[in-house]
Amino acid sequence: MESAKVIETLGLRKTFRDFWRRPVVEAVKGLDFSVRQGEVFGLLGPNGSGKSTTIKMLLGLLHPTAGEIRVLGAAPSDTRVKARIGYLPEVSHLHPFLTPRETLMYYASLFGMSHGVAARRTAELLTMVDLAHAADRAVGRFSKGMARRVGVAQALVNAPELLILDEPTSGLDPLGCREVKDLVRLLARNGVTVLMTSHLLADVEDVCDRVAILDRGVLRAEGQIADLLRKPDAVRFLVEGLSEEEASALRRELEARAGCRVQQDFPAMSLEAFFLQVVAQDGRLRTFEMAPFLQAEHVPGKGPA
Amino acid sequence: MIRPPQTATGVWRTLKQAAAIAGTTLTEAIQQPVALLILLAAVLMTLLSPVFQFHRFSEDGRLARDSGLACMLVFGLVLAAGTAGRSVADEIARGTAAAAIGKPVSRVTFVLAKWLGIFGVVALFWCGVLAATLLAERCSAHFLTLEDFSGYATDPWTLVSSFLGVALALAAAAAGHYWRRRRFGVGAFAGVALSQVAVAAVSGFYNRFGQLYPLHGEAACSGCGGEHAHAAAGLVWYHPELNLRVLPVALLVLFALAIFAALATALATRLQTGAALAVCAGVLILGLAGDAFTAGATALSLRGLLAGVLPDVQHFWLCDAVARGGRVAWSYVAEAGAYAATCCAICLTAGCLAFQDRDLG
Repeated sequence: MESAKVIETLGLRKTFRDFWRRPVVEAVKGLDFSVRQGEVFGLLGPNGSGKSTTIKMLLGLLHPTAGEIRVLGAAPSDTRVKARIGYLPEVSHLHPFLTPRETLMYYASLFGMSHGVAARRTAELLTMVDLAHAADRAVGRFSKGMARRVGVAQALVNAPELLILDEPTSGLDPLGCREVKDLVRLLARNGVTVLMTSHLLADVEDVCDRVAILDRGVLRAEGQIADLLRKPDAVRFLVEGLSEEEASALRRELEARAGCRVQQDFPAMSLEAFFLQVVAQDGRLRTFEMAPFLQAEHVPGKGPA
Repeated sequence: MIRPPQTATGVWRTLKQAAAIAGTTLTEAIQQPVALLILLAAVLMTLLSPVFQFHRFSEDGRLARDSGLACMLVFGLVLAAGTAGRSVADEIARGTAAAAIGKPVSRVTFVLAKWLGIFGVVALFWCGVLAATLLAERCSAHFLTLEDFSGYATDPWTLVSSFLGVALALAAAAAGHYWRRRRFGVGAFAGVALSQVAVAAVSGFYNRFGQLYPLHGEAACSGCGGEHAHAAAGLVWYHPELNLRVLPVALLVLFALAIFAALATALATRLQTGAALAVCAGVLILGLAGDAFTAGATALSLRGLLAGVLPDVQHFWLCDAVARGGRVAWSYVAEAGAYAATCCAICLTAGCLAFQDRDLG
């Protein structure tokens, strides 16, 4: 059975206008897409393709020029719907004079949480994003990566059913990127629906189930990552323990049998994997642990997908 | 479309949201160095007026009082408009407003909470400047005829205490920042304002010659030249040698500042700080000069329209009413409060409507 649609857009358009209401740019042109419950959906596209505009319309921050949006079955401006959404903006918009603890308490209070619950969640989130040591320093003096971690924490303060992440790994070092990707996977396993945008295609490939590619406000492609990237007429073998001569001999044998050219290469690990391997040697790579209140057994009605 | 909260839980949550946004706005605003500079300028200019005696036609006290109230209105207007610009227009530009609206916060709640926070800043400023005004009037030269003294008497103890209060507040804020890592701006702003209130309260225990008031008996007041709130007989617990008739006049100024805070908040949903400040200054000038150009105007004329639209600031500027022992009736203050509340409601409604359709990018 197909899971329910958490996000659905129909003929979505957004035209930005100047002071005199003259159209300046049409950022989104008739966008139709949907995101199903429990999936990790990636919205890709070059700069100016309309990704952030689409996300802001989904959150009710921008008003669509035309078209229809349903988020969790309601209009995006409905505050009851927003109570079930976590949002990480492209730039972590934080009050510079507040500390991370005060920032998270502030956002928790916007969800109407009691002081006790807010304080507990704040402590858990600060530990989760590895900022407990800097909990009482003003965020205005944080590096971009540290501010991003505060941004990630504030997006999770309400244990959201739908998490919208705009460039979540922007400004993070490889360790931070790895942790965010781990987080997205863990949340998806706990039944949270995730919509994310990113310029880093490798990040999207690592975590997303489905993607949509936008270009100049138009949807160019949409589907399962495995289906979109698969080469239907090609097969790859990975053989370990062969010498270079044996590998060449095997290639010639395959070419003779298949009657076509066989490409031979020596696979290398990704730079990210190598970096993490090097960093792990001095024990800096910590085991990522999700805040207890975000785990399925602590969230009523939420379970693994 | 503007929707009211639908359930009791919704109302409670809305109140919590408003308190959180207002509190953050207040903290952020008084943390800004410019807010402290405005408060310091207003307090120090008020306290210095009895030091520099420009003339002495038995109206030194009036000069100090009028200067204090003028500082309260003008600097308060700048503070209200500047705070609104920073906490509404700048937050919209910076994205923190979008971050809040992305949570379950309605745009109406956001605008109203912002106004509450801005008004909180203005009210704290008002407390400090009001206390400084009362102290400045007390410290200015008064002609006294007593059993053992006849002539002009100032109050150097109180004046020195007031300046010391400012210095101590700044030093305490600096010490708190150095040793306890507390916010300097917040400590200094609140400290300067509260130090003046504290000095005003303490000054009620001694007269302008530095002699302590005994805490009993009406006769003990013989050395005092000010107004006393003492019992007809029996225990006398406090002698506020302050011109408390200024209180309703200052309250009227606070009402005016509330209107300007509402106007600046509404304007900041669409305009930048400078433009909002310019419009507020224009409304202040036109509001003060309203009688001059609206006299005899018909309802359908441009002047009539202006008279109807602009808040009449003259209702809130009654310095002259307390000259030579005059008083402002509390019933008048209540009516002016209702007028101010109406003006605030109109401005904030316009602000909510303007913000409702605003794209937050």
